[in-house]
Amino acid sequence: MKLVPPDHPASAGSPPSLEQLLCRGDIWRGRSHQAPPRLVVDTGYAALNERLTGSGWPVASLMEVCQKSACHSEWQLLVPALLHTQRGLVVLLNPPISPFAQALLQAGIDLERLLIVEAKDKSDFLASFIELARSDACDAVMAWQPTQALSYTELRKCALASTEGQGIYVLFRPDAVRDQSSPAVLRLTLEWESEQLRINIFKQKGELTVNRQPIHLPIPNAWKGLLPHNELDSQGKPKPKIASVTPIRGWRR
Amino acid sequence: MKTHISKRQPLQRLWLALRFPHLPAHVLASHGLDAAIDSAEPQVISAKRQLIWLNSAAQNAGVTLGMDITTAQLLSGCVAQERANQKELQRLSELAETMYQFSPYIETYASEQVPQSGLLLEVGSCLMLFGGLTALCEKIAQQMAQENIALAIGFAHSKAAAWLLSFAEQIIADDKTKADFIAQLKTLPISWLHDFPKQVDALEKMGFVTLAEIAKQVEAQSVGSFRKRFGHAFADYLCELFGIDQDFQQDSLFEKPVTLFKPHEFFAEQVQFDYPLHQIDQLQQPMEHLLQNLSAYLRKRQLQTQQIEWVLSDIYRHRDALTVFADSPQTHWQLLLDLSLIQLENRELPFEVDTLSLNCRHTLPMQAASHVLEFEHGRKINRQQFSITAAKLKARLGDAAIYKLSYKDSYLPNESNQRISLTETCEQELPSIHQSAQRPQWLLDAPVEIQLRKQGLYWRGRITLIAGPERIQGNWWSEPSARDYFIGVRQDQQRLWIFFDVHKQQWFVQGIFA
Repeated sequence: MKLVPPDHPASAGSPPSLEQLLCRGDIWRGRSHQAPPRLVVDTGYAALNERLTGSGWPVASLMEVCQKSACHSEWQLLVPALLHTQRGLVVLLNPPISPFAQALLQAGIDLERLLIVEAKDKSDFLASFIELARSDACDAVMAWQPTQALSYTELRKCALASTEGQGIYVLFRPDAVRDQSSPAVLRLTLEWESEQLRINIFKQKGELTVNRQPIHLPIPNAWKGLLPHNELDSQGKPKPKIASVTPIRGWRR
Repeated sequence: MKTHISKRQPLQRLWLALRFPHLPAHVLASHGLDAAIDSAEPQVISAKRQLIWLNSAAQNAGVTLGMDITTAQLLSGCVAQERANQKELQRLSELAETMYQFSPYIETYASEQVPQSGLLLEVGSCLMLFGGLTALCEKIAQQMAQENIALAIGFAHSKAAAWLLSFAEQIIADDKTKADFIAQLKTLPISWLHDFPKQVDALEKMGFVTLAEIAKQVEAQSVGSFRKRFGHAFADYLCELFGIDQDFQQDSLFEKPVTLFKPHEFFAEQVQFDYPLHQIDQLQQPMEHLLQNLSAYLRKRQLQTQQIEWVLSDIYRHRDALTVFADSPQTHWQLLLDLSLIQLENRELPFEVDTLSLNCRHTLPMQAASHVLEFEHGRKINRQQFSITAAKLKARLGDAAIYKLSYKDSYLPNESNQRISLTETCEQELPSIHQSAQRPQWLLDAPVEIQLRKQGLYWRGRITLIAGPERIQGNWWSEPSARDYFIGVRQDQQRLWIFFDVHKQQWFVQGIFA
C-alpha cells in the first residue's frame, strides 16, 4: 500500500488549513489536472496501474465491477491486490458460489483472513456492507449485489460507508446496470477473450477525459489448454504443460 | 424527662434448624409433593440402589428405608426414581434465599450419609425484630407452607444440637435456656448421630445407648478420651453439641464468628415513562441509560455478561420480553445496545409501553484479557473490534451466515471444502498432489449436469475441452466415485471445471475458473 495523505486529515478542534483542504479528494479543483494524492493498493498488473489514477486500486472508495451474469473473473482481477494487503480480513459478502479452498490456498491466500458473509436480503446486504466497510479490521470487501437491484441512494450509502473504512471495497454488479448512474469512484467492465481478460474502465474519479481503450490482462498459461495436434508444429511452440493431466489407459468417450 | 437506660445483655446465640424430610421427593414430584406421598401407587427414591425415601403405600407394602431397590420392586412393584442431588442443592439455595428475610446468617446442611437436608439459621440476633421465637417460627412455617415443603423445626444453642433436636418433638417456647436444650439432648438415642455411623456402631458395642451416658462420661473424664478413641471430628462435634469450651485455661473471650449469607445478586432496573411510548426509536435513550447503569454495576463487581433481557410492559399488565445474546462476554454497554437495536429493528411495539425493564441474571467473573502492545503505527487486524462487527452481523443474519473456509482431506472436491465457524482454526496444509493441480476458484455446491447435444457439451453455452483429463477416484467405502476432470472453455470464453462420471456415464460441471 502506498502512503499518501488521507482524505480527511485529523483536525482536533482547530479549523483545517487551505493545504489540508486541498488534500481532500472530494474538493473540486476546476480544470486543474493535479490529481489529489490518494492511498492506493497495487493491482499487481503494470498495464492496469498505468491507467488508474494513483497507480492502484483506490483505498476507502467504492469500486464497481460490471460483468455478464454467467461470467466470472473476480479472482483473476483482485488476487494480486489481495496478496498485497496481508494484514486485515478479506470479506466476501454474498458470493454467488462457494469459493474453493484448494484454489485459494494455491493462490497464496490465507484462509484465516478470508470470511464469508451471506446476506440475501437487500436490507441485510446494505446493513452488512456498511458494517463491514466501517470496520477497521477489513482490508478488502468483495460484495455481490443481491437479486433485488440497488438504487442510487442505496449505492450512495455504500459509497459513504466506504469512505469511513481503510480497505478496498469492490461491488460486483450485472453488466446491464453499466448505463445507470452510480456514485462509485471507479467503474469498470470485465470480459473474457480467448487468451486474455479485457478490462474497460468507463468511469474514474479525477479523470477528465475517459480513455475508452481497453486493457488486456494475461490469463494463466494452464488455462490456455492444449493446442490441437495439427497446430503444434505450425505454431512452433512447445506443448504447454498441464500438471494435473494424467493419461488414462482404455478411456472411452 | 426521665430516661430509662437498660443494661444490654450480651446476645445469646440461638440456632434454628429447618429440616426438610421430603426434599428428595419434592424436587422429583411432577404433580406436587402431597400427591406423591398420598398416592395409592407405591413410590420410592433410591441413591446408589439403596432406598432413601418411600411413600405410605410403599411402607404398607413392607418396603423399608435402606432396602435394596430390586427387593423393594419385587416386594411392592413400586415406581422407583433416582435421587437428583443437583436439584436438591438448587432447591436448598432457593429456600435459603427465601429465608434471607428472617436472618442474615444462613447455612446449608446436606448430609452425605442420610438423605436429610435443610437450613440452619442463627436467629438469636433477630428475635426482637420478629417478636420472639414463637412468632418467628410461625412466620417461617407459613412461608414454607406457601412453598409447599414439609418442615421439621429444631432449635438450640448450637448448630449440631438444633439439627439433632429437629428429629425430636420439641415444644417451641421463648424462655428456654442452654441447660434446657442439653437436658433434652441427653434423652436422645446415640443412633441419631447419622453423620458418625462408625463411631455410633463402636459406642453401641461398648454399651452406650443415650447421649446422657456420653455426657456423663465427658463430665467424668473430659472429652479427651473420646478424641483419642474416636477422632477429632467426633470430639469436636460432642463439644459443639454440649457447648463445652475447649480452652482449658479460661473461657474464650470471643465467640466464633458466624458466616454471613450472601444472596445471589443480579441486576434488575426499570424506567417508567411519563407518557406511553409507541415508537421503537423513543426507547433508544432509556435503553442506553439502563445499559450504562448495568455497565457500572458490572464494572464495580468485576463481572461480565453475555445475556440480557428487556421487558416491555404497560399499565394493563401486557408484557413482552426480548432476550439479547452477545457473542463474547461484555462489560461495556455499547455492543449490547447495538445488538438490542438490531433485534428491535424488524419489530413493532406490541402495545404502548409504559415501563421498560432491564434484567441481567447471568453473569460471570471478568476474564483478564491480554492485549498486544502495539509499537508499530501501521494497521493491524483489530480482532477485538471485528468481534463487535461479527456480533452485530450474527445478530442480524444468524450464526450460520458468517463462516470461514477450511480445507479437509477428502477425495471428492466438494467434500474437501469445509465451512467452519469464526472461532475454529482453518486447515491450510494442502497435500502436494493438489498443489500443482488446476483448481477453479468457484466451486458449485453440487455438480450440475451438462446437456449432451449434437454439437457437443452444453451448459449455458457450448463447451470445448481444452485440457485434461485428471482422474479423481476413491470413496470406495461408501459410494464409489470415478471422475475424469477436464478444463472446458465455453463459447463466451469462460473456463469451466467439468468432469465425466464414469459410473453414471454423465458429464457434470463442478467449478468455474475466475
